[in-house]
Amino acid sequence: MNDQTLTPEERAASLKGMGSSRKRVEDVRFTQGKGNYVDDIKLDGMLFGDFVRSPYAHARVKSVNKEAALALPGVIAVLTAEDLSPLGLHWMPTLAGDKQMVLADGKVLFQGQEVAYVVAEDRYIAADAVELVEVDYEELPVLTDPFEALKSDVVLREDLEGQTEGAHGPRKHHNHIFTWEQGDKEATEAILAEADVVAEEMVYYHRTHPCPLETCGCVASMDKVTGKLTLYGTFQAPHAIRTVVSLISGIAEHNIRVISPDIGGGFGNKVGAYAGYVCSVVASIVTGQPVKWVEDRMENLMSTAFARDYWMQGKIAATKDGKITGLWCHTTADHGGFDACADPTKFPAGFMNICTGSYDIPTAYLAVDGVYTNKAPGGVAYRCSFRVTEAAYFIERMIEVLAIKLNMDAAELRRINFIKADQFPYQSALGWEYDSGDYHTAWDKALKAVDYEGLRAEQSQRIEDFKAGKTRKLLGIGLTHFTEIVGAGPVKNCDILGLGMFDSCEIRIHPTGSAIARLGTISQGQGHATTFAQIIASEIGLPADDITLEEGDTDTAPYGLGTYGSRSTPVAGAATAMAARKIRAKAQMIAAYLLEVHDNDVEWDVDRFAVKGAPERFKTMKEIAFAAYNQAIPGLEPGLEAVSYYDPPNMTYPFGAYICVMEIDVDTGEWDVRQFYALDDCGTRINPMIIEGQVHGGVTEALAIAMGQEIAYDEMGNVKTATLMDFFIPTAWETPNYTTDHTVTPSPHHPIGAKGVGESPNVGGVPAFSNAVHDAFRPFGLVQSHMPHDHWRIWKIANGLGMHG
Amino acid sequence: MELSDEIRISAPRDVVYRALNDPDILRECIPGCEELIQNSPEDLEAKVVLKIGPVKARFAGEVTLDTSNAPDGFSLSGEGKGGAAGFAKGGAEVTLTEDGAETLLAYTANVSIGGKIAQLGSRLIAGTAKKLSGKFFTRFGEIVSEQSAS
Repeated sequence: MNDQTLTPEERAASLKGMGSSRKRVEDVRFTQGKGNYVDDIKLDGMLFGDFVRSPYAHARVKSVNKEAALALPGVIAVLTAEDLSPLGLHWMPTLAGDKQMVLADGKVLFQGQEVAYVVAEDRYIAADAVELVEVDYEELPVLTDPFEALKSDVVLREDLEGQTEGAHGPRKHHNHIFTWEQGDKEATEAILAEADVVAEEMVYYHRTHPCPLETCGCVASMDKVTGKLTLYGTFQAPHAIRTVVSLISGIAEHNIRVISPDIGGGFGNKVGAYAGYVCSVVASIVTGQPVKWVEDRMENLMSTAFARDYWMQGKIAATKDGKITGLWCHTTADHGGFDACADPTKFPAGFMNICTGSYDIPTAYLAVDGVYTNKAPGGVAYRCSFRVTEAAYFIERMIEVLAIKLNMDAAELRRINFIKADQFPYQSALGWEYDSGDYHTAWDKALKAVDYEGLRAEQSQRIEDFKAGKTRKLLGIGLTHFTEIVGAGPVKNCDILGLGMFDSCEIRIHPTGSAIARLGTISQGQGHATTFAQIIASEIGLPADDITLEEGDTDTAPYGLGTYGSRSTPVAGAATAMAARKIRAKAQMIAAYLLEVHDNDVEWDVDRFAVKGAPERFKTMKEIAFAAYNQAIPGLEPGLEAVSYYDPPNMTYPFGAYICVMEIDVDTGEWDVRQFYALDDCGTRINPMIIEGQVHGGVTEALAIAMGQEIAYDEMGNVKTATLMDFFIPTAWETPNYTTDHTVTPSPHHPIGAKGVGESPNVGGVPAFSNAVHDAFRPFGLVQSHMPHDHWRIWKIANGLGMHG
Repeated sequence: MELSDEIRISAPRDVVYRALNDPDILRECIPGCEELIQNSPEDLEAKVVLKIGPVKARFAGEVTLDTSNAPDGFSLSGEGKGGAAGFAKGGAEVTLTEDGAETLLAYTANVSIGGKIAQLGSRLIAGTAKKLSGKFFTRFGEIVSEQSAS
């Protein structure tokens, strides 16, 4: 059988293009232990850096004595702020418009803050030398509570003293960073004043950490002969890092090559710029030798970017039959010692203003106050678009709280308030234009799939049995309908440090009909090499298996803003399709020439151009590629390649319906997830298997966050959860079985209709788990209880409700 | 964190009290003590190597005694710094009660810790503190009883 006898469907299937559950090409090396991570990089003469870190959360650094450390054989240097200040590198700009100490400049503001950087011939000598550096600290009062910080006389940021204006407007107090307001305050307050029903609650989304399996690290290598700096690192945004390094160091950008090799998970933790990068670059420039720095697990959890820590005070107004009329939210955001949030510049609280969720809420108001405390800086989007998981948790809790107030079924309350399919594109009260959605269809499908009515009947019986003393286990049904906002984003309103958030793809077709594509993004486990090849395969008819995909080397890849906030498919995926279409347009001209017809007389057919009305006369893409390089075609340049820089016209708005059924032991606080159903609508589905994998991973991280994971501080500012003994990472033991499902509502503005999915399961999963816990205790009077819902805290809920007799 | 215990020592109260203020005896009894210098009757300086869970470090500390209540007891407060390993600070109330030829020593101590020992060792710290104080008083009891007997 040759390809002339294959049906178009068979030919399409052989390409393994969009819609195919093509196996991940990355796994060939990963499953054989042949990945190449930063710590695998070994260069001749490589030195090792390690940090002296502050044991205090707030202290003055009176002196640093390096003598004993320098006397240790094998120690090359010990850097302090004093050494970096002549270069102007003892402070660095943050992504949020603030600045951050690279090494302690007179004081420390959080436990684990970098005080000195030791450079030694090997990793062990560096660690020994760290212990020999004597630092004299004078303790200062510690502020770990943002509400206290806003009242306290203690000034955390003495460097900002007297500055009443910050990067995002006026500062109200010396520990205040910014106020960000969206929506209509007056109108919302008027609605609250006149509403039939107002439910009010404080919803806290606790501080946690992305905790990728591989921690942050880099290898800086300055070649003194060529003047070129090569920086390998765990960077989620290698091109942006190159620009930032150039701006900070003064090294011309063409003399900097940033390489992100394989990355063992990022989840937002690897977006920012850290002291380790700056110190390693300086150390390599000074010594002329490569310098490696890789943080250990404790350093990762206590010093590189955390996530969440939002105190969200909410008021939701409704008519007595449950139609929501207004939403009010005031958030107190604990940013730690420096404002190093990774958000687009104009959005100091990220896309928190998506907090009207999936609901048609006519009037809303949001204010966010950023606050300095003695905690680590960060505030990254841990497997969510910028602050979207906070927004989704907030609205999904407020809906439940309102349902309690109205004595209504929470599924029905959602249903009567959803934005209807015919309202899209939908303009939200807080300023977003939702591109597409069909929430009622997804919701009904989800409720039916889990037999919602049956579950409620079972729950009623369980409550009776519990009251009759026949069982000590409760049943909770956790509902969530979330709407994400991803794919940042349109250059007109999205930039980071002035860099527009477009993305890019360059495709080169080789003469024999295979190809290489390079993108401005970087996979950290998402499977870009698999899925982006599928987009190209469908667009230009070459088999995905014949397309190599490369990312992460700034010397070869086109400029892009990187991978986070589920932006790769919405932005770089669109660029990929657009670049492929440019190639197809040229291929059409070549085919027409070869077939001796006019350009308009050929049509695209899966993997070829055929003469209209004469499908037996065609040129395959493979034939066209060969001709592009080997035949002189009048009016056309040789070669077949294209590049696209894609500036998205809008964000994309994936959504989903998640339902968690949980058994809870009232006496031990133990929970058991009996069923977890996840319906995702991410628009066009590129690789269903990868989507399913993304959902499994994301829901598992959501389980961790909702049910135990946290970065907790004691009153002295000690990080109490700095090891994996205390920081909850689910294993196969805790991880339940998941059922995945989908609907498909393509994005109308994306070239292939795809919306992005990597973060949806975290955004939807956290409220689903948390709502299940709340729902179990709802009949006994629980309205709101803060996450994480570990066994101890659940036991305390039961105890507080008088359920222990 | 609060620690308290009661130990019976086979020696009269004044002997016990003197021993508790004798740097030589203390040096011998404090587990891991490398150095103990008495700068004045109220001020002591010590270097102690401690191992708490996975953290082993040399702590340099200063202790201030309040002996105004002698010989019924005394109180002390102090702070120890262990560099990269962290720090500890706190105080203790010690009371000595005569019971025939023996002495009942009771103490309550309040200790707070910071840095790596707080992060890594928090779940071990109570057990370690109990073990260390146990070691101290066993040895202390032995020495004082021997002295009192001889």
